[in-house]
Amino acid sequence: MNCKKYLAIIIAFIASLPAYADYYAFDIDSIGLGDRWYDLQYEVNAGTNLGGASPIPLPAEIRKILHFNPKLQLQIGASATKWLGRDRRWGVQLGVRMETKGMETKAQVKNYGMEIIQDGKKLKGRWTGRVSTKYSSQQLIIPITAVWRLNHRIKFNAGPWISYAFSNDFDGYVYEGYLREGDPTGDKVVFEGDSQASYDFGEDLRNFQWGMQAGVSWAAFKHLVVNANLTWGCNSIFRKDFKTVSFNMYPIYLNFGFGYIF
Amino acid sequence: MKLSKITFLLVLVALLSSCIRKEPLNTECDIVACTLPGDVLNRSAQIYNDRVVLIVKGDVSLKNLAPEFEITPGATIVPPSGTHLNFVVPQEYTVTSQDGEWHKTYTVEIRRDNEINLDYKFQNVRQVKAVGGLCSYDVFFEVNSAGQEDWAWASANPAFALTLQGSTPSTFPTYQGEGIDGGKCVTLVTRSTGSFGQSAKKPMAAGNLFIGKFDMTNAMSHPLEATQFGTPFTRVPVSLSGTYRYTPGDVYTQANSAGKLEEVPGKTDEFNIYAVFFETMPGREWLDGTNVLAADNDQIIATAVIPDKGAKSDWTEFSIPFEFRPGKTVDPEKLQRGVYNITVVMSSSIDGDLFSGAIGSKLEVNDITLMCQDKQ
Repeated sequence: MNCKKYLAIIIAFIASLPAYADYYAFDIDSIGLGDRWYDLQYEVNAGTNLGGASPIPLPAEIRKILHFNPKLQLQIGASATKWLGRDRRWGVQLGVRMETKGMETKAQVKNYGMEIIQDGKKLKGRWTGRVSTKYSSQQLIIPITAVWRLNHRIKFNAGPWISYAFSNDFDGYVYEGYLREGDPTGDKVVFEGDSQASYDFGEDLRNFQWGMQAGVSWAAFKHLVVNANLTWGCNSIFRKDFKTVSFNMYPIYLNFGFGYIF
Repeated sequence: MKLSKITFLLVLVALLSSCIRKEPLNTECDIVACTLPGDVLNRSAQIYNDRVVLIVKGDVSLKNLAPEFEITPGATIVPPSGTHLNFVVPQEYTVTSQDGEWHKTYTVEIRRDNEINLDYKFQNVRQVKAVGGLCSYDVFFEVNSAGQEDWAWASANPAFALTLQGSTPSTFPTYQGEGIDGGKCVTLVTRSTGSFGQSAKKPMAAGNLFIGKFDMTNAMSHPLEATQFGTPFTRVPVSLSGTYRYTPGDVYTQANSAGKLEEVPGKTDEFNIYAVFFETMPGREWLDGTNVLAADNDQIIATAVIPDKGAKSDWTEFSIPFEFRPGKTVDPEKLQRGVYNITVVMSSSIDGDLFSGAIGSKLEVNDITLMCQDKQ
């Protein structure tokens, strides 16, 4: 997926629009009642995702976050809003967006469940030391949210989303620590210097996820809105039957972006 | 402004729920160190994952000894450290982790003279399950003149288990095979360690068996130091003899800097069998892969190294005299005090410790004998 390219096109498009010194999206006073067309509003938007997949709360096994890089995560999308009622204060918004989620972390852990898989066999154990993790996922997301308009410039939205991941990676390696083979009573093997063991849980990530989002939009110009949305997953990024990582990890992302309202 | 306030609140909620929590209690239940009060130990304690071996001086009675243990912080041990027990037979100790969830039972064995056998026929093995029961490998043991089991021999099989390349004992680098006239032998085969081994830059494992201790802790980070060679020896060795056969593997390879095996054309693999008689010094109680045959190792008194390391399709006898290093002699007083050690080392690839050799090289050793001077 060539997100950067799409984003560049959208930004260029938005930038080329004449800036109206008018207020947010639509002014109810200018709408003739019964004019159904204005009850529907369309938006295209683009933004960046800031966040990561994290256990909530952070499990006691994780002792220290040594490094965190959310990487550049992009999203593009479109939505349609159906405004309801006489004063159009409430509405329903259906969206579709493509986005990447990801992060890179390094953490100090104690007694962390892990496994190394090769040739269909698993070496299980407990790791105390450092873990480097890379997570990246490309997803198609469909949010259905309720919108509420505070005034001509500001609207809020909140509601559920479902997503399908068509590419999933979760891998990394352990280093500077020791493995207890099997369980805490098993053989102890120290990894020092450049000795490390890699793991790959990409196959154990879910494809379908659901979650909630809530956010706010601010109409800077007549057609241009600034969006901020917090999205969080309600089920773990891992499949239910995946037990190696003993805690659930939830994707939590803050999205900042721009939208163009037609 | 409203927008920034709300954003700030949302971020705050996310952060608050993700704080580092209180450190969990320890789950490990290890004996970390073990000593005996007074000047009675001949060597420092050998601590395995479920076994502790203490070798005491020749005049110490085993009937009433009180070993003292250092265990994982927060763990408890029963019977408590410092309890007087009769060590004529090995005693069991149970260590419970700080969180109370995990237990480990250690067998603590105290030996006086550590009399080891001089003839080895590799008739006894115990199969040990590893990696959650996915595989099992052979561990060789001897029965000494007093009828006690003697675990003098060690191999790197426990580390090979971690590569997940093994299943039954005969898929490991070191296992019991068929010897001469229906007897048993030790079979050593150089194996690939698969993707795990390669990612750890240890792409092969030569079959190996040696007198000493294999230190699993060091297996990944310092493999040469994981083989701790030697056991106390109170005789003067004269020669090392035995019966073997050897088939080198087809393609000689060598690990490159990325840990991949590269073919070395025109080279044929060789095996090695040798014995080293050496003096222990404080902090230098064993030799390891870095120094066991080193020319400048001042601990070494005498060595016996097989000269012909090539292929032998038929069972072949050998007898090699111990050669003393220049200027080295045996001090009878030190000999009696148990200051000297001996090790016998066998490997299916002579440079297997450096990850060079041919996959499939196979060394079979039917028997090994250490000839010694009569005790004075």
